[in-house]
Amino acid sequence: MQAVAAHGHEPRAVVWPQDPQFATASAGKIAMWIFLVSDAFAFFGLLLAYGILRGETTAWHHPGEPDLSVVLGALLTAVLIASSVSMIFAYDAALRGDRRQTSIFLGLTASLGIAFLIGQYAEYFGILHPGLSKEGLVFGRSAYASTFYVITSFHALHVFTGVVYISITLLRNALGRATAGQIELLGLFWHFVDLIWIFVFTLLYLIPVG
Amino acid sequence: MEEAARVSQRKRSAITFLVLLALTILEVAVSQIAGHHRAVVTALVGLAIVQGIVQIIYFMHLRWESRALRLYVLVPLAFPVIYALVLIADGIWRRLP
Repeated sequence: MQAVAAHGHEPRAVVWPQDPQFATASAGKIAMWIFLVSDAFAFFGLLLAYGILRGETTAWHHPGEPDLSVVLGALLTAVLIASSVSMIFAYDAALRGDRRQTSIFLGLTASLGIAFLIGQYAEYFGILHPGLSKEGLVFGRSAYASTFYVITSFHALHVFTGVVYISITLLRNALGRATAGQIELLGLFWHFVDLIWIFVFTLLYLIPVG
Repeated sequence: MEEAARVSQRKRSAITFLVLLALTILEVAVSQIAGHHRAVVTALVGLAIVQGIVQIIYFMHLRWESRALRLYVLVPLAFPVIYALVLIADGIWRRLP
């Protein structure tokens, strides 16, 4: 498979020839999917460990440990889903060659990612009210606390990475150096971050203590 | 023609957003049901899987990729599900009287 320059003066804009197996998927897209599947395994490992620990214990919540806020978790979910939509609009604008709209939607997606991180910080350490760490959910004190912090912070690291990735792409777009294909790859990563949160939210926040 | 396809994609994205939001609200409602622990857990995991499938198909556009790429992505993802089922079966077996 070999990329062909669509315009002689623009080496970055490439059109991939029709491949019998992968159609017009670029090498970058295939590589991104392979990375996402391997990253999904890391999350699966953590979530399976969480399931084993929770399934084996008779008392998941220790005395004095607070419950997780379902309302905050649901709000964070809504923020990430909305950011996925704005990412799709950014890609759509990039396909149309509308750099201004691409920048606006990329900026909106990054802002929603930052809002998610602020929400997560508030949940851990508190902003308007004491956070979980001050309310008695201390890392290392119980499996409930440790699995919560490890899984959510590993996910937050992905959100942070995504925000940095979006910011770099936003800058490249402003300079006219980002292609629609690159924004599509960025979108795949961002939607994956949203996808993982759906499972984290369900398993950590919603499953009631039996 | 191309413009019509783009309008349709924007419409599809908006519908997908609303569906995911509705499923999240439904999940929160189901989690508040007292008792019936196993049924609630099964429903929650089922709803999360539906949300995940919607996300992969419509937001990540896997539906519009080639069959080979779809298999490259979906087949490996079946393995952790198998591990999870084996672990659940193991847990049930060890608790048998």
